[in-house]
Amino acid sequence: MTVLRLIAGRVLVSLLTLLLVSMLIFAFVEILPGDVASRILGRDATEASLAVLRERLHLNDPAPERYVRWLGTLLTGDLGTALTSARPINEILAPRITNTLLLSAFALAIYFPLCLIPAALQALNRDRSLDHALSVVTLIIVSLPEFLLATLLMVVFVAWAGLFPAMSVVDDTTSFWDYLRAIALPGTTLGVVMAVYAVRMLRDNLIEVLDADYIRMAEFKGLSRWRVMIRHALPNALVPTLNVTALNLAYLVGGVVVVEKVFAFPGFGSLLIDALQLRDAPLIESTVLITATVYIGANLVADVGAVLLNPRLRTG
Amino acid sequence: MTTVTPSQAPVTPPSGLARFWRRAPSSLRVGAIILAIHVVVAVTGPLWAPYGVAQMGAGIPLSGASLAHPFGIDQLGRDVFSRVVHGGHIVMLLALSGTLLGLVIGAVIGLLSGYLRGWIDEVIMRLVEAMISIPFLVLGLLAVSAAGPELSGSPLLVIMVVAFLYAPRIARLARSAALEIVTKDFVTIARLRGESPWSVVRRELLPNTTSVLLVEFAVRTGYAPVLVGSLGFLGFGMRPPTPEWGLMISENRTLLLASPVTVLGPGLMLASLVVGLNLFTEGLARILGRTVQIGQR
Repeated sequence: MTVLRLIAGRVLVSLLTLLLVSMLIFAFVEILPGDVASRILGRDATEASLAVLRERLHLNDPAPERYVRWLGTLLTGDLGTALTSARPINEILAPRITNTLLLSAFALAIYFPLCLIPAALQALNRDRSLDHALSVVTLIIVSLPEFLLATLLMVVFVAWAGLFPAMSVVDDTTSFWDYLRAIALPGTTLGVVMAVYAVRMLRDNLIEVLDADYIRMAEFKGLSRWRVMIRHALPNALVPTLNVTALNLAYLVGGVVVVEKVFAFPGFGSLLIDALQLRDAPLIESTVLITATVYIGANLVADVGAVLLNPRLRTG
Repeated sequence: MTTVTPSQAPVTPPSGLARFWRRAPSSLRVGAIILAIHVVVAVTGPLWAPYGVAQMGAGIPLSGASLAHPFGIDQLGRDVFSRVVHGGHIVMLLALSGTLLGLVIGAVIGLLSGYLRGWIDEVIMRLVEAMISIPFLVLGLLAVSAAGPELSGSPLLVIMVVAFLYAPRIARLARSAALEIVTKDFVTIARLRGESPWSVVRRELLPNTTSVLLVEFAVRTGYAPVLVGSLGFLGFGMRPPTPEWGLMISENRTLLLASPVTVLGPGLMLASLVVGLNLFTEGLARILGRTVQIGQR
């Protein structure tokens, strides 16, 4: 029962945090410079038309009232209307989110082998030159900013090898093959960034597991090293790594912002930047809130997962 | 005292620093060497850089790498190597002062919050959690947008944004470090002596959380150039013609296919600076007996 109560507590705290985040975002957008009405109508607008628009958008109401109204419409699933394009935000978001989900799926598909294989190689060759070499490589890649890694991949695979398009522009008419080519480089960037973050931890976990008695037992029975690794060590070492993977998912929602921008990929992340550059208040509020929701959700999963998987926490 | 035979006697006895250096983990030594090169280049660079920071006509635009122009010439005819060298102190000052400001604000808030407990602690920590729940860069971009056009592109804004992003994360860490020692006797005694919360934080908590905060400072400093560069790259940081490396990569990227070296140059500098900082941090953490997650986001 204590487990259930613990989890319920975490969920409640997350919801409270989300509510605070919505206030924070609203406050930030409130202080965005410039009058919203004159931003929509342009500089030549008459004072009368500005007044009419302000009234229609409820801009004259006090901020708390507008915040509550915004929250109310959010709860009905309506994100409102974008200022610049005057289109419903739900409609703008749908294709962007689909694109970003496909990109994320690609990134995750290469994330798992990219963190499992080097970590297993390192653990099996502990403190030998291969282990040290891979440590250095992961440290260097961990140190690279996403935009730099993305640009380096571009230099190699676009400028030198000419394998992929420089701009990952896709739309409804893009064929499956072209779509795959378009997301290959941004997806690889994200996958690599997530993998190097997990490799170090997975290596340490694997080494710890490999020292355990039941592994020694399996070795004495004459099983091969790789067989021991795959059948016995990896499943046990993976448990703590699930936490990192959940945190990596949380990272992904912020990471797509930069990477999509580098490749001009029409996903959720580049929409967020566009909204900020255009100072489109409702669109900023929606995209940032969605980002925070996913981030909080992924962290919640990591938390709850840690509780469920750790017997010591479970009794506590 | 044993007599030392002449052959064994060192010419000069090793100083404390030399002994420390020899015993230090190799990651700390390699990191320190990389950082030393970066600092020397950043400090002396403006004196020996072959061209001025915004000097045009240094060569044929996009003519590629050569001995005279190791990082090539950008589309405006500026020598990229000179610009990279001129940019070193800007990148370092922005990263360092932003992190330092964030550390001071975060440590004060976190330690006070952990010491005072009660509803103040609850309110502060809920707010801190909320700020941490918006991904790093997204919150940074939002803050830059909210700051408005007067401040945009100013180094002060970049420093404040880095501090603003770091402070809640450092506050959370400082608070948990404070919670571990507030129950100790010397803190109780200080309180019973009638010391003010501020004085307890400064005299009792701060000295006992130094190593935690020092490692945290090192980790955050390692990520700060990435943050500064990402802001610049996305057009939310320094403005042209500032030779900030992230901004330079963004500017030269448009002609990546014509002259990749103009991007690789600033990229190499940024990457080596961060690698140096991270290696140094890892070594420092090992000396202080702490584990760190390099590249924290």
